[in-house]
Amino acid sequence: MASRWADTEADAAEALRKKKEKEEKKRLKLRKQQAEEAAAQAALEAEARPSKRRRLSSGDDEAAEAAPSKEKEAERNLLRFEAGGWAPCRHTSNFETLNHIEEGSYGWVSRARELSTGEVVALKKVKMDLKQDGFPTTALREIALLQRARHPNIVSLHEVLSGSSPDEVVLVMEFVEHDLKTLQEDMPEPFLASEVKTLLKQLVGAVSFLHSNAILHRDLKTSNILLSNRGHLKIADFGMARYIPPPNAPLTQLVVTLWYRAPELLLGAEDYGAEIDMWSFGCIFGELLSKSPILQGKNEVDELSLIFALCGLPSEKSWPGFYRLPNARSLKIPRDTGARAAGQIRAKFPFLTNAGAELLSSLLSLNPEHRPTAEEVVNHSYFKEAPKPKPMEMFPTFPSKAGQEKRRRRASPNAPKRGDGHGVQNVDFSSIFASRDDEETGGGFQLKMV
Amino acid sequence: MQPSPLANPLATVAQLEESGSRLDGIPADLENSIRFAGARLTQAAGILLRLPQEVIAQAIVVFMRFWVGPEGGSLAEFGARQVSAASMYLTTKLSAYPKSPRSIVNVYTYLDSLPSTYTEPESLQDTSKADAYYVSEGTYQARRMELFETEQRVLKTLGFQVQVVLPYTLCITYLQALDAFSHPRATELAKRAFAHLNTALLSPQLLYLTHQPPSLATAAIYLAAKEVGIKLPAVEWWEVFDTDREELGFLVVGMLSVENFVEEERARWQKNKVPMTVEELEAAMQTSSNGTE
Repeated sequence: MASRWADTEADAAEALRKKKEKEEKKRLKLRKQQAEEAAAQAALEAEARPSKRRRLSSGDDEAAEAAPSKEKEAERNLLRFEAGGWAPCRHTSNFETLNHIEEGSYGWVSRARELSTGEVVALKKVKMDLKQDGFPTTALREIALLQRARHPNIVSLHEVLSGSSPDEVVLVMEFVEHDLKTLQEDMPEPFLASEVKTLLKQLVGAVSFLHSNAILHRDLKTSNILLSNRGHLKIADFGMARYIPPPNAPLTQLVVTLWYRAPELLLGAEDYGAEIDMWSFGCIFGELLSKSPILQGKNEVDELSLIFALCGLPSEKSWPGFYRLPNARSLKIPRDTGARAAGQIRAKFPFLTNAGAELLSSLLSLNPEHRPTAEEVVNHSYFKEAPKPKPMEMFPTFPSKAGQEKRRRRASPNAPKRGDGHGVQNVDFSSIFASRDDEETGGGFQLKMV
Repeated sequence: MQPSPLANPLATVAQLEESGSRLDGIPADLENSIRFAGARLTQAAGILLRLPQEVIAQAIVVFMRFWVGPEGGSLAEFGARQVSAASMYLTTKLSAYPKSPRSIVNVYTYLDSLPSTYTEPESLQDTSKADAYYVSEGTYQARRMELFETEQRVLKTLGFQVQVVLPYTLCITYLQALDAFSHPRATELAKRAFAHLNTALLSPQLLYLTHQPPSLATAAIYLAAKEVGIKLPAVEWWEVFDTDREELGFLVVGMLSVENFVEEERARWQKNKVPMTVEELEAAMQTSSNGTE
């Protein structure tokens, strides 16, 4: 008896079909080969013919000389530059909003999904105040800078959408689970030294990239720094950022959130530079170590006094330009020597290594010229000594508030702790069966979906 | 991926084949005339606003990008003047030289008051007709709102691609690389090269929308060296700057052809004004269709 799998008729048909297919392929291949040969022939002929285009102008003897040499040489590889094209903004209806994340001065941020691809993104709706200056300059700058600043540690801008109403403009950006501020608030312990290094290394890499591209961020702070579930850090919110303008153009001093604002800004400097980002970077460094912002001033005056308490007092020697700053004249610095002038940084971070303390103190130098550049920080020995930066894949994960994830409720109680042993002796078990008699019978089995 | 700091987004073939204006029945030659007059207007406004050429050039490229492609702006919906003003306004916003809506409105109103598009430069000295370009409060408010609305439309039509990389700095770098500055007439050479780059901005062939800055700079140097009579290396030096012979040839011809185009435009419009608003365009189309009947 033939196997019940063997269906000779169908097999034969299949074999025939396969054979036909093969033949068809062979024929196509042959035809393609012929076509290629013909094309090559044509190209050869074209090459042999004196080309009209080659001659740029009559009497161009250089070109005539150069032409034959080119024939001999193989085609040279010239660099091609690509920067895409442009197309009108897509409509917001291509995305569905999942949940609201936060609202800031710049606009509303929410988590959304692209309907066609299912990709989860962050949408940032621009707050429009058309009456004043038309499209908000800050948003325009943010878009322009994000289009240029593509870096693994800078949040990427996918596209810009327009809505049904003319003044609706939405930025589509990659969704990143956490921001460092919210994350730290929920963490029971500060980051480990190795984790701080991983974060700072990524952060300073991005800052160095920005500065080398002549971009000032001007609002570095933990709530603007995002962290993915894979330990990948990304700088966000370029609403304050701008290109470093030509020299002598006055800049606004009203930048950077107060707790991260450099002393020269508080003192009214008008021609500041990349150093203000390095000060903010120093503040973030301290914040990651101690789990809370290190300079929480109530106002500008308080902020400056906190800075002097932490970093010491400025002197003509340590900061020669200091007294020439607009707001410094009203300041009466006591002629103090010794401990108060020296600063408290080493004492405030006792667990930091010498290299770490040296880096933090230099970042929090009152004189902007004494602060290291981002490039110098990247190569600082702090990142090379033990403990080494923790690999990103080893980074702990956390439930994402923006993604509306909750800390998983513990399925089982904790293991007993040492010293809790007394519990077993004096536990009253009498209540276990006490209510048994009162229980109603006949309710039966119930499966409830909760 | 980091976009090359030397590259611009370019118009696609589909965008070059069709335009919003032509879809709306505006003849291609009229579209070319208006686009050229609009680019020229942007240049003039930029000079009156005392802006550096770098900012003006960006505004012109933004203006040119707006009209390209079937999804681009149409002259039947937007006047060239309002788009020029909006391109200028948003470009200055991103630059280190922001200009107030008031300045923009004033300058464009003044330029609009000139009796013809291709005016003799001497007539610009005439200040007796000051009330022709006086902007009343009501007009200012209306123009300002128009400026803001057009700005939005330009941004959305371009998908916010309003940044432009320019060839000017590259041009100087290339001249240095060619060791041209050791020549006694190097200044003349550089000036001619810059002049060609400025001319190319106005080209009806949209050279800044179809070619990358390195090629534009190379072609300008090639042309300038021929004109000034400075001998450049007798090898294919343009390949060092990533431009092949074919592209170089195309750009050289493109840059040279602008002069003829301008002469034709001047002859075509003589003492008339090129229609720079939707209403003016409609009127012009009306009279031309009456004329053919």
